[in-house]
Amino acid sequence: MNTINRRLVLGGIGALGAAGVLAGCGEGSAGNPGAAPATGDGGAKGYDGPAVELDFWNGFTGGDGPFMRKLVDQFNSENPNIKVKMTVMQWADYYTKLPTAVSSGRGPAVAIMHVDSLATNAARNVIEPLDDVAKALDLKQEDFADVVWQAGEYEGKRYGIPLDVHPLGFFYNKKLMEQAGLDPAKPPATAEEYAAALDALKGKGIQGHWATPFPFTGVLSVQALLWQYGGNLFNEDSSKAVWHEEPGVKALTWFTDLVKNGHSPKNVAQDADNIAVMNGKNAFVWNGIWNINTFKEKKGLEWGVAPLPNIGGTKAAWAGSHQFVLPKLKTPDQNKSTAARVFVNYVSQKSLEWAKGGQVPARKQVRDSAEFKALPEQAALATQIDDLHFPPPVPGIGDALAELNKAVNESVLLKAEPAKALADASARADKILEANRKKYGA
Amino acid sequence: MRRRPSAAFWVMVVLLTLLVIVPLLWMVITSFKTVGESQADPPTLIPQDPSGRAFGEVLTTGGQNPVLRWALNSFAAATLHAALVVVVASMAGYALARMEFRGKNFIFSFILLTLFIPGFVFLMPNYLLMDNLGWLDTLWALVVPGAAGAFGVFFMRQFFLAIPKELEEVALIDGANAWIVFTRIILPNAKPALATLTVLSFLANWNDFVWPLFVLFSPERLTLPAGLSLLQGAYTTDYPVIMAGATVAAVPVLILYVFVQRYVIEGVARSGIKG
Amino acid sequence: MAAEASAGTLRRRRARASTGVRGYGRATPYLFLAPYLLLFVLFVIGPAIFGIWMSLHDWDFQLPGKPFVGLQNYKDLFDPLSATAEPFWHGMRATGIFTLASVPFLVVVPLGLAVLLNRKFPGRTFFRAVYFAPYVLGVAVIGLMFRYILDTTFGILNAFLGVFGIPEIGWTTEQPWAFVALVAVTVWWTAGFNAIIFLAGLQDIPAEQYEAAELDGANTWQQFRNVTLPGLRPVTVFIVTITLLASANMFGQALLITQGGPGDTTRTALMVITDTGFSQFRMGQASAMSYLLAICLSIVALITFALMRERKS
Repeated sequence: MNTINRRLVLGGIGALGAAGVLAGCGEGSAGNPGAAPATGDGGAKGYDGPAVELDFWNGFTGGDGPFMRKLVDQFNSENPNIKVKMTVMQWADYYTKLPTAVSSGRGPAVAIMHVDSLATNAARNVIEPLDDVAKALDLKQEDFADVVWQAGEYEGKRYGIPLDVHPLGFFYNKKLMEQAGLDPAKPPATAEEYAAALDALKGKGIQGHWATPFPFTGVLSVQALLWQYGGNLFNEDSSKAVWHEEPGVKALTWFTDLVKNGHSPKNVAQDADNIAVMNGKNAFVWNGIWNINTFKEKKGLEWGVAPLPNIGGTKAAWAGSHQFVLPKLKTPDQNKSTAARVFVNYVSQKSLEWAKGGQVPARKQVRDSAEFKALPEQAALATQIDDLHFPPPVPGIGDALAELNKAVNESVLLKAEPAKALADASARADKILEANRKKYGA
Repeated sequence: MRRRPSAAFWVMVVLLTLLVIVPLLWMVITSFKTVGESQADPPTLIPQDPSGRAFGEVLTTGGQNPVLRWALNSFAAATLHAALVVVVASMAGYALARMEFRGKNFIFSFILLTLFIPGFVFLMPNYLLMDNLGWLDTLWALVVPGAAGAFGVFFMRQFFLAIPKELEEVALIDGANAWIVFTRIILPNAKPALATLTVLSFLANWNDFVWPLFVLFSPERLTLPAGLSLLQGAYTTDYPVIMAGATVAAVPVLILYVFVQRYVIEGVARSGIKG
Repeated sequence: MAAEASAGTLRRRRARASTGVRGYGRATPYLFLAPYLLLFVLFVIGPAIFGIWMSLHDWDFQLPGKPFVGLQNYKDLFDPLSATAEPFWHGMRATGIFTLASVPFLVVVPLGLAVLLNRKFPGRTFFRAVYFAPYVLGVAVIGLMFRYILDTTFGILNAFLGVFGIPEIGWTTEQPWAFVALVAVTVWWTAGFNAIIFLAGLQDIPAEQYEAAELDGANTWQQFRNVTLPGLRPVTVFIVTITLLASANMFGQALLITQGGPGDTTRTALMVITDTGFSQFRMGQASAMSYLLAICLSIVALITFALMRERKS
């Protein structure tokens, strides 16, 4: 995959969004949900030990970086004896360096991780269980969306404190919809409506939903469809891939048919589907919430965003989540550990600020706040929060999922039939899962 | 002996010079622009709204991009590496050129053989070795493993073979031991070769990219190549900052180069000595 | 070839020196060798063998479990259904294309530069230093700089070409332009290095040979063909060899300028190896890849040598 795209997308935001995001940033300091007593006094007690310096690593290289930096600066000025030093690198570099840095005793005290990397890094001894942190800070499942909260657990222990959720959403070009006689205020929400809309667009010579063969966001779309059709990626104990079963085949067939039925060109390049929506050539794209700022940036673009249409019968969407993690310290340092907790709690409570970077905050109380509801696009996608799915917390699961990427790629490029591609990929994934079980000693 | 250079010749020379200088100049100019201006199409030749912001990003102490610190790290690593290579390679090269001992041919052929093993073969195992030695993220990882390369020994041996024996024989008869002969007689006569090997080792280490990229990770411990790569990743499209980083990395090297260019070029010229 | 200034005068006497110097203890040679041999065993021999051992395992250095897999990692590289085969061979293709495309330019352009610099003209030392300068900047500075210069929409190269009515070219995002860009940048960066070595070779060709050729009525081109090129043969072999090796090791330019793109077309073998080993922590597979690449490389090197020898006879 193209590294630029992966890095930006994983970062949760398009780089193009940067300027627009910054513009909206000035008035943002009003909301202070952290003042609410419900979040407990773990963070309120603060830290009164000797001055410590905390290294904080993350991959927020896009437009979200400045938001996090602002939060860090705020924290530093309010906590004179803690100095948080934030280091940003692109996610690919970060995931390469963090494990070895930690194992050689030079890791940071606090870091951010995507939810699907938690299990792998927990198994690799890179990060510490956080149950005590959650307890000390009085963080409870009720404070967060269930699915997000649970995704931070591995083998019964908590490894991540959720910061945000970034779900897939349905972005549409209003002008094109009007051209095709569709109501831009009422985007299609069911399989029938969606099919009708695509046909209407086709009638005007518009290819309505470009199907990209790349993980971002073609594979993410197929995963969402698979869950909508009631399927799953892996079996109960995650020992076997089951995406080749009926729901998976239906999902990939539906997605591939976009090409076969002329709703998408063949060989869509990386991000070309999204760019085509911005340039008025493509009507619909399923993309991440980070896309909001990218679209806001595009002058003259009339667009809307809604939860994913329900194609398969069950509401479902793909999502990622950034979570705070505490990397293992080779030499335990009580002061650092305490200070790190105070910092995590602080930022977690300020996650409304963070939402402006184009994310859905993980904390319920922030999501329910009037200030968050005033961010219409984010709020629209936040309604999906209970329908979101994450990969199972199994170490090395990403290796197996890479095989699904290949299957989607082959199918969408019309090199293989969906059922065959999925079955082959599933067989390869089973081998990988087995090898990983051996490797991780599960 | 030959004709005087023609006008066409001069045009060629100057064009080539521009070809070298213009990209560098563009890098410097861009580092003073604002992000918006750096992405202007068509580009502006002179910064319309010159700003030192980008240099602030890469020069602030304690920031995440200590470019000068990286330059210092690079310089220290390359210097120590070159010194180590010169010491061990000249000693080994001398023994292989001038001494008779059991296993000499075997050892030399073995060393020579490894000259042809590409470096990437050692990447994974040496990384593990660094991990076990506790050398990851330290200067040692940059300085030491590379000094085991066969080139230096081979190069020094070839040179010592060409030094006349009489020099040392006289000294040995006078009762000097081998170490004294080596340090007082051989090495002073080997200055050009030592200088060449120093330059080549320094440059190789200075330019090394893959290895430091993976064995280093703390922001303040990186070398220039590793640090700049991280900088590019972290700033994606903020080109003024990226160009400022590159400029800060380039300027000290170029200044140093102005003073030592003669030795550098002579050193490189001699690297083909065994063509 | 190029003789040392100080050693040159002494070299003639070398023939007399047949055996080594005596007058040192039995252990002395080994003591002289010891420091190097220690490094050599620790960082060359040991790792070379240990790498083979690794390649027979599913080796993740941070996990306690490192299951033995026999030759599976190698077999996988030839099994299109495995997770490693496709990226590896795509990487090999990228490296192969880059090597084929770059080596000729990295030999011919420096040769031209060397011929240019071999003339006597005022400021020659200065220009020589200028042409060599890019090399000392290192790949990182060059990569960052050209990533910006080559940008499709706001890069100055496209703006410059636009003046002549040439439409925008996707130097980093379209093929074959991405390879053109990588080769050109590499030439910009390292031509000076090779040129200096060529120049030393040129200066080693005795002036008498040119004088003789001139007496025979040879023009400049004929002199170049019949005196310069044959005289440069050993240097050329040297340069081709080091350039071949350097090109096969291509990494930095592609990482910084094209990021392996478009698609994975410029993701070189070395990028695949480091990604597998250091990012996915599958060092066993990565080791297997590096040995396979090393074998391919030595085959290419042998063929090159054979070709060069043939031309000679």
